[in-house]
Amino acid sequence: MPPELTGVDAAHDQPAPAESANGAVRLDDAAAALAGLDALDTPTVSRAPWWRRALAVGLPPLVAVLLFVAVWQALWAAAFWPEFKLPAPVTVWREFLSVVRDGSVWSILWTSISRAFLGFFIALVIATPLGLLVAKVRVVRAAIGPLLSGLQSLPSVAWVPAAVLWFGLTNSTIYFVVLLGSIPSIANGLVAGIDQIPPILPRVGQVLGARGLTGARHILLPAALPGYLAGCKQGWAFSWRSLMAAEIIAAGPLLGIGLGAYLEEGSNLNNMPKVIAAIFLILIVGIGIELLVFHPVERRVLRARGLALAT
Amino acid sequence: MTVTIGHTADQRTPSRADGPAVRLTGIGKTFGTGATAVTALRDVSLTVRPGEFVCLLGASGCGKSTLLNLVAGLDRPTTGELALATGRPSFMFQEPALLPWLDAGRNVELPLRLNGVGRGARRQRAGELLELVRLEGQGGKRPHELSGGMRQRVALARALAATTSPDESAEGGGAGSGLLLMDEPFAALDAITRDVLQGELLRVWQATGTTVLFVTHDVREALRLAQRVVLLSSRPGTVVGEWDVEHGSGHDLHDEITASLREVITRHAA
Repeated sequence: MPPELTGVDAAHDQPAPAESANGAVRLDDAAAALAGLDALDTPTVSRAPWWRRALAVGLPPLVAVLLFVAVWQALWAAAFWPEFKLPAPVTVWREFLSVVRDGSVWSILWTSISRAFLGFFIALVIATPLGLLVAKVRVVRAAIGPLLSGLQSLPSVAWVPAAVLWFGLTNSTIYFVVLLGSIPSIANGLVAGIDQIPPILPRVGQVLGARGLTGARHILLPAALPGYLAGCKQGWAFSWRSLMAAEIIAAGPLLGIGLGAYLEEGSNLNNMPKVIAAIFLILIVGIGIELLVFHPVERRVLRARGLALAT
Repeated sequence: MTVTIGHTADQRTPSRADGPAVRLTGIGKTFGTGATAVTALRDVSLTVRPGEFVCLLGASGCGKSTLLNLVAGLDRPTTGELALATGRPSFMFQEPALLPWLDAGRNVELPLRLNGVGRGARRQRAGELLELVRLEGQGGKRPHELSGGMRQRVALARALAATTSPDESAEGGGAGSGLLLMDEPFAALDAITRDVLQGELLRVWQATGTTVLFVTHDVREALRLAQRVVLLSSRPGTVVGEWDVEHGSGHDLHDEITASLREVITRHAA
């Protein structure tokens, strides 16, 4: 046969790197060929400096916000609508400053955010085993899989009247609605994550002897993590949005003042600046949690796997 | 057709005593029942000596993968007997199948971790194995940061971690040094990389004394790697020929085996 690149018959030779006279290890031909190949084939990734990346990420949204405020100001100045329908940006800003100055904004935010977080974590605890069951047990999937996807499309605000009748105007009503909003999203995310695992990975687990719970811990769950995280992100959005719906509709002395109640209060007083300030606060919390919690986690997970290299 | 055990003592391995590493006797595998049943393997008998490198050669549908799955214990034969001298054999696939969330070192550690080896010991062992496949210092890299050939070498190191233990990787490991099942591991690589990795596999095989059962479509690859080439027919798969490879007789053997393979394939032309 013709000679091979690295000497087939290396099988018969001494394979180890030879020692050269001065004691340094000299690579033999096969090792040198291999090292060259590795150097040629290794994917290279070049990254822009941090300030350029920060600029690329931060600048576009900043410009968009400035544009939005400018258009708002222009519309207000043109006076198409009466003042009580469209207040000036600066009026809304003053309303916002007033709740910040008297400190009530912190209690409002805390009431809502603590509820959303607690609800979200309870939902995580329930939805994770539920998702695993639906993904791995055929009967369970046939029985409640469609229901789970269906529940995702049911606006959880539809549960508020029923919850008020069952639990009264208490925190239980709020948590019930939040859970029904977020559990289906998280469970469905996990199911999708598990369904999308390349079939080779469970086989690897099998040949390495990882079965049952060990297999789930070492192979199944880490492999499903991107889908699971996407589900959690959506679950958070749903729990936040369900919470606002519940807080707006179910207001009572036992419930305290959250963002939803604050918004509802503004609406009852025909106080448009307050309404708009409340809407912005709700939006800012939603975006803030996404940017501070979910985005970094998701990016880390994806980047570690060589997905989403760009951002 | 039955194949008998190692006819000629092969010069390439230090002679190892003990029984065979793998013994298949009259193995048959049928999927399904009744009219739709498909017989993948029929009456396959094969014996592999400890430390031997055997290539299973065959066209599509010869049940090579089924056979490896049976040996790996992923599936049970319908008929026949299967005996392994080693513990759980390890498997290498056509793709590296590294876990993308673990770096190269931790991928190699995984089988040790699943076997309850302590952190320090498994880290050291993974380092040794990465060095063996010439990837020393690359353990911190993620699979996507490695080239295809490097990934496949990490997979080789992982397979070795699963089947060998440190003290057995010394010279002439004997029957305890594990069984490596390889299902066309180089088929997805480019020609240059494949060529280099074939040489690497031979070097690693010599260094570890592992028994290797290697499935391939490629006569040339089989001849380069194996001490013994076993030709399987297709649908159902059964052993139709067997050649001991002595180096130097390459050309003739290549033509002979290719002719047999052609015969097996043309039988299916309807």
